[in-house]
Amino acid sequence: MIYAGIDIGSITAKAALIKDDHLLDTIVIPTGYHHLNAGIRVFDTLLQQAGLDRQDISAVVSTGYGRASIDFADKAMTEILCHGAGAHFLHPGIRGIIDVGGQDSKAVLLDDQGRVENFAMNDKCAAGTGRFLEVMARALEVELDQMGKVGLQADNPSKISSICTVFAESEVISMIARQEKRENIIAGIHDAAAARVAILAAKIRIRGPIMMTGGVAKNSGMAAALEERLKMPLVIGSLSQETGAIGAAVLASGLQL
Amino acid sequence: MKEIDRFHAAVNDSRATALNIHRAGRKTIGYLCSYAPEEIIHAAGFHPMRLFSSKHEIILAENHLQSYCCSLVRGILEDSLAGRLDFLDGTVFPHTCDSMQRLSDIWRMNGKYRFFVDLVLPAKLNTKSAAIYMEKVLARFKEDLEAASGKKITDTDLSDAIVLCNRIRKHLFFVYEWNFRHPGVIRGADLYALVKGAMIMDKKEAADLLAGVVSSLEQSAPPAGKAKRLILSGSVCDTPDIFDAVEKAGGAIVGDDLCTGRRWFDGLVAEDAPPLSGIAQRYGNRMTCPAKHAGLTARADTLVSLVREHKADGVAFLLLKFCDPHAFDYPYLKQALDKQGIKSMAFEMDDQQSSHGQFSTRMETFIHML
Amino acid sequence: MSEKPVDKTKIRSAKKMRDLMTTYYLDALSAQQNNKQVAWITSGGPVEPLVAMDIIPVYPENHGAMIGSAKMGEDLCGKAEDMGYSSDLCSYARTDIACSVVKGGPIGGLPKPDMLICCNNICGTVLKWYEVQARFYNVPLFILDTPVCHTGYSPEIAEYVRTQVDEYIVFLENMTKRKLDHDKMTQVGKLSFEAQHLWQKVLNTTAHKPSPMSAFDAFFFLALIVTLRGTRTVVDFYKELIAEMEQRITEGISVVPNEKYRLLWDNLPVWYQLKWLSSKFSQHNACLVADTYTSAWCGAIKYIDENNFLDSIGQAYTRIYLNIGVDQMAQEVLDMIRFYDVNGLVMHSNRSCKPYSFGQMDIMNIVRKKTGIPVLMIEADMVDPRSFSQSQVENRIDAFMEIIKQREK
Repeated sequence: MIYAGIDIGSITAKAALIKDDHLLDTIVIPTGYHHLNAGIRVFDTLLQQAGLDRQDISAVVSTGYGRASIDFADKAMTEILCHGAGAHFLHPGIRGIIDVGGQDSKAVLLDDQGRVENFAMNDKCAAGTGRFLEVMARALEVELDQMGKVGLQADNPSKISSICTVFAESEVISMIARQEKRENIIAGIHDAAAARVAILAAKIRIRGPIMMTGGVAKNSGMAAALEERLKMPLVIGSLSQETGAIGAAVLASGLQL
Repeated sequence: MKEIDRFHAAVNDSRATALNIHRAGRKTIGYLCSYAPEEIIHAAGFHPMRLFSSKHEIILAENHLQSYCCSLVRGILEDSLAGRLDFLDGTVFPHTCDSMQRLSDIWRMNGKYRFFVDLVLPAKLNTKSAAIYMEKVLARFKEDLEAASGKKITDTDLSDAIVLCNRIRKHLFFVYEWNFRHPGVIRGADLYALVKGAMIMDKKEAADLLAGVVSSLEQSAPPAGKAKRLILSGSVCDTPDIFDAVEKAGGAIVGDDLCTGRRWFDGLVAEDAPPLSGIAQRYGNRMTCPAKHAGLTARADTLVSLVREHKADGVAFLLLKFCDPHAFDYPYLKQALDKQGIKSMAFEMDDQQSSHGQFSTRMETFIHML
Repeated sequence: MSEKPVDKTKIRSAKKMRDLMTTYYLDALSAQQNNKQVAWITSGGPVEPLVAMDIIPVYPENHGAMIGSAKMGEDLCGKAEDMGYSSDLCSYARTDIACSVVKGGPIGGLPKPDMLICCNNICGTVLKWYEVQARFYNVPLFILDTPVCHTGYSPEIAEYVRTQVDEYIVFLENMTKRKLDHDKMTQVGKLSFEAQHLWQKVLNTTAHKPSPMSAFDAFFFLALIVTLRGTRTVVDFYKELIAEMEQRITEGISVVPNEKYRLLWDNLPVWYQLKWLSSKFSQHNACLVADTYTSAWCGAIKYIDENNFLDSIGQAYTRIYLNIGVDQMAQEVLDMIRFYDVNGLVMHSNRSCKPYSFGQMDIMNIVRKKTGIPVLMIEADMVDPRSFSQSQVENRIDAFMEIIKQREK
């Protein structure tokens, strides 16, 4: 039996297929404006890539920001549950997840079955999310995907104390005016964002081993700052971005239809 | 429940409601919290109406209250400054939290309504001297209202108003109990419209309509659904979408300690006591607002027994952003629930809520965990 | 190069003050060994009965100010957030609550209380904060409930508060298992009354041009009237301080070398930025000569009858600056603007203190209308530096000072 998971995030759409408890295939595409179209596109492209038909799929679970728009899914489940299931599928020993996405950051605590025991999400404030990093990257004129690498070259990380994105931006601008090194400012930004996420982790008393998922996991500087704050290494797999979609497929296999 | 439309109508247009009541001969006095003695206002010949934010964009209030003031306080001030509350003849501010205290000053200084009273109730509810003070403050309030209306309030006026307000409380209590035995049948949005509507519409009309609701519920006994049973705990929840989100996520609300819910109608005024003592005693005995002190564990004890009595699966804390009294209590309330093995989760709310998506995600996950 | 000259602008009494505070904290920290009881009390609470009954008063708010000054606020606020306390709550409360658990802060935490005395005349926050601590330490909590006097002091309030003063004494007698010595109480009352007078006199010295001290100095010297009023120590110290100020006035020594502009500060200090703010204003030849905060500890002296202390403190503690209506607060600000003859008003919009900050904009409008002086509002927090943007504040101060300079040309 083959099961599919579709994760419609705010920036990218992901899909995954599993068969008999092993991962068959995954895919990532940009979401664009229309959630349902993105869902159809990502699903059909993946099926094509795997040489399968819709009839071959026993069940589909959708997740992510646009999960409710995917009308052909058998069930919509939250990305928190899916990241939990996905992380457990990829690494059965994982007990904690840090998921930093575009809109939200989350810390999730798992039991030994991969079920969610507790979780915390950022409040209205955007500090500590992908959006925060994006605003800062723009202020510094650095490509978003270069930020991690640049930040790791800091020799004396700057200190950003404001928790508010708007305040932090004005702090960063005054650092630019003082001609502080870009690397140092970026390292400071990563640390400020990591500090917010670490508060979420502390709230749920997170345990290791911890996996980092979501798009921002690809930012090596942010990951390093988080490891420093959490005083624990993070497991970051090559499928960090697809974890939610994989989890959705896993949960689809458990549906009683 | 054919009566429900009338409640939704009152909730959706408090202005029209007040104007109708005015035409029938009662001027409206607005109030801002559940410690406002509606009985005395009603006995004085006024219509007591709870004020909520109409959730318009904050423009004029920006010149009076900073952004770290809660959306309820800012929103109500905005409505007043924008002239949306011009149907009011007066307002009463019972003393509760720091933000309301300052709102009252700003309100008075920018005065627009004929009648204005600060009802400076005690912050303590558990000592004899506080009870004596409470009664005296209420007596003073009665005199203020008499001066405003030019008419003496007799004990009979007060007793009649107490009986009327008690009727509303008894009916709402029945609806809540029925809802707890048959969760998921009455929509949350309807349940809370009944409570909020009763705060807004004419008291007698509310009591009569609620009697109709009670009798129609008495005759039905639908089977209980399979939804997860939730208790809501917190301050003001004035966002009906929240209730829909709970239900969509597979939950059913079986009880609450909200200021816009049970806390408002909890407990009856003793009808055989001297009227003002009876009113004062009810405030001491009913569910407590965290801005008041009724003992170090009063609110946790109430919440835990609420969960037990209503066989709830979990508690959702609805915390209004920048509401200090509730934010201070949250860690200890959560701890009290944890000790009993009761799962809970906090949701930060805002009248100007923009991210319902996040709320749904969290609620769905929470209900899945139960 | 000649030898470095003695800095004449420095206030000599500061050292003695530091020593007094150190002695006070050492006493408090060794209370248990000396078989003394410790009461935690809010800054606006009636401390005199504690002094009369030989109970050591300890002030979590003063502790909060120390944490802020030591720049330890960010870390402790974060710890409180880990414990579930919202980052929107008062940073004094957050740091104190966190400190009790982690034993952190500049003095390793306050001595454990035997009792808690909470007077809500400054805010409703202290009520919640002391409830948290009463549960944590499992000690009795006495609440002195002082109803807000929006427009005046009613007979009901008077009676309620007077009764509670008696309840307070009974509470302390039960805690100490001793009777109050009324002669001693009278003596402590007189000392407190005298200290408040002297504190007012200290603050009044800044009406002189140029000012011998600034609000930044007042923030520092305040600790004594808050923590030790009712003792001889405070009276003696403030007498010396007044003498020093008078000498400075005679010798023409000012705290800001070229004082040209005089400013009034509103709200609590930004404890972790005192130095920076002080030098920022000095650069503009501006001196913060007075503030609404430190004068709160002598503002209600008119209600005290030193010969009938317990009967009169009800009113004195209820009608303090923060427990009155915003319009009355505005009147006091206007009085200070006139008395100190200031060129501008600086308001600290303090995220931690809602009763102090909400209403500020109305006060601002009244001041503008009645005096025409420029008003600056700074967004910050008294202890949590994460709500402070230095570059933003710097810009605003520069612009504000430009306006003042243009006006005073």
